[in-house]
Amino acid sequence: MKKQITILGIESSCDETAAAVLQSDKAGFKILSSVVSSQVQVHAKYGGVVPEVAARLHIEKILPMIQLAIKQAKKKMTEIDYIAVTAGPGLMSSLMIGTETAKTLALALNKPLIRINHIEGHLLSITEKLKFPAVGLVVSGGHTQIILVKDYLKYKLIGETRDDAAGEAFDKVAKILGLGYPGGPAISVAAAKVESVNLIPGIEIKLPRPMLDKEGFEMSFSGLKTSVLYKWNELVKILSPENLDKARNLMAYEFQKAVVEVLVAKTAAAALKFKAKTIVLGGGVSANKFLRSEMLRVINEKLPDVNVLMPEMKMAGDNAAMIAQGAYFHVLKKDFIEPTKLKPDPGWELVH
Amino acid sequence: MKLITKKESETIKLGEKFGKTLKGGEVVLLVGDLGAGKTTFVKGVAKSLGVTRVVNSPTFVLMKIYEIKNKEIKNLVHIDTYRGLDIGDLKNIGAVEYFKRKDCVSFVEWGESLEEYLKKEQINFKKIVIKNISENEREFIL
Repeated sequence: MKKQITILGIESSCDETAAAVLQSDKAGFKILSSVVSSQVQVHAKYGGVVPEVAARLHIEKILPMIQLAIKQAKKKMTEIDYIAVTAGPGLMSSLMIGTETAKTLALALNKPLIRINHIEGHLLSITEKLKFPAVGLVVSGGHTQIILVKDYLKYKLIGETRDDAAGEAFDKVAKILGLGYPGGPAISVAAAKVESVNLIPGIEIKLPRPMLDKEGFEMSFSGLKTSVLYKWNELVKILSPENLDKARNLMAYEFQKAVVEVLVAKTAAAALKFKAKTIVLGGGVSANKFLRSEMLRVINEKLPDVNVLMPEMKMAGDNAAMIAQGAYFHVLKKDFIEPTKLKPDPGWELVH
Repeated sequence: MKLITKKESETIKLGEKFGKTLKGGEVVLLVGDLGAGKTTFVKGVAKSLGVTRVVNSPTFVLMKIYEIKNKEIKNLVHIDTYRGLDIGDLKNIGAVEYFKRKDCVSFVEWGESLEEYLKKEQINFKKIVIKNISENEREFIL
């Protein structure tokens, strides 16, 4: 391999249009730039609640995002050695914009093309190298999966949510509690206000931990959501406005604790079963402070020899830097695709 | 027709029964609050159609398509408009194309906002309303 390679990463699987430039050297790699459309756009349709999935919006944004990423990386298009793009999972109409653009660039520049799975991107959104076997927890609004990583490019899904994704549960519970958008951070902030669970005399909030005692790595969060809904509706009937405010924070606290407990327990169990040397977190919910601290605390206690890796906050949500990072490992294995053969695959499951 | 389910497994069974009545081309709007059992119902439908993949909530991914082998129905399309998708958005993501296909069946969670459009376009649809009666009980109006 050349001493230094440059990879352009493109991500447009759902609402975000993102581009990034990675540069490698003998020691490893560095992200030179990473731009994500929601963070640069001037207009927000409904404050970010409605996903910007219109193909025409992706079309409008993709070239400016690529150009911006290349400019910020202080590179020229001709200095790009490899093009990497998310080919799935996601929405066909969104994915297509990314794949067609990547295909065209690869052909025009005569550079190798790499197709990346969006979940793989999240798994590899950390900068450190993994020690194998590794167990990854990818947790976001759209996905909640535990994946066994035997080596780069060797993945096996070992557990996922049977209903709501964890990030989705955060979002919906935030709505139930009237906590605003985006739900995840709102729950986190409310939960952090709780100093003691004995906030309100006579009120104790107990929430279930779905699937916790069940063997295996399947998870479930919709029952927890329904539990919050019913308990909250009861509290609304009996509490004074002042106590209801306290109860809101307490409910957020208990909910967050329940979700995190399940995520950490299942991940730890998987790490134990598969003798993992590394645990890696990825996806939007990996930015949750409590998940991060609990994962570290529990693994330090139960599996002290296992290293826990998590992405920087800005790498947790959907972005193209993780796509470029994933691509780096595909380049090492010379895993390329003929541009004319690249097709978006909305249901692409990450498998061995 | 009104039916009561007392737990999740009964909702799944109801979905299975409903799934067996599908011939292809159906568009079903699932109307009900958070926790009503919309996704759970679709799990049952998927099971009856022979889908082996896990059917989980499409709230954030917006649309999921499950391939069905060896039947007149080739795809189960599962859509969720909870995040505020309107008919324009559904057209943008190609969902409306699926509504018109006889070899697909589509289930739209929170789909009440589509009724007017579907009526105008003369696309036949069914509406299933689910009411939360208590923490575990649901009333299905099919």
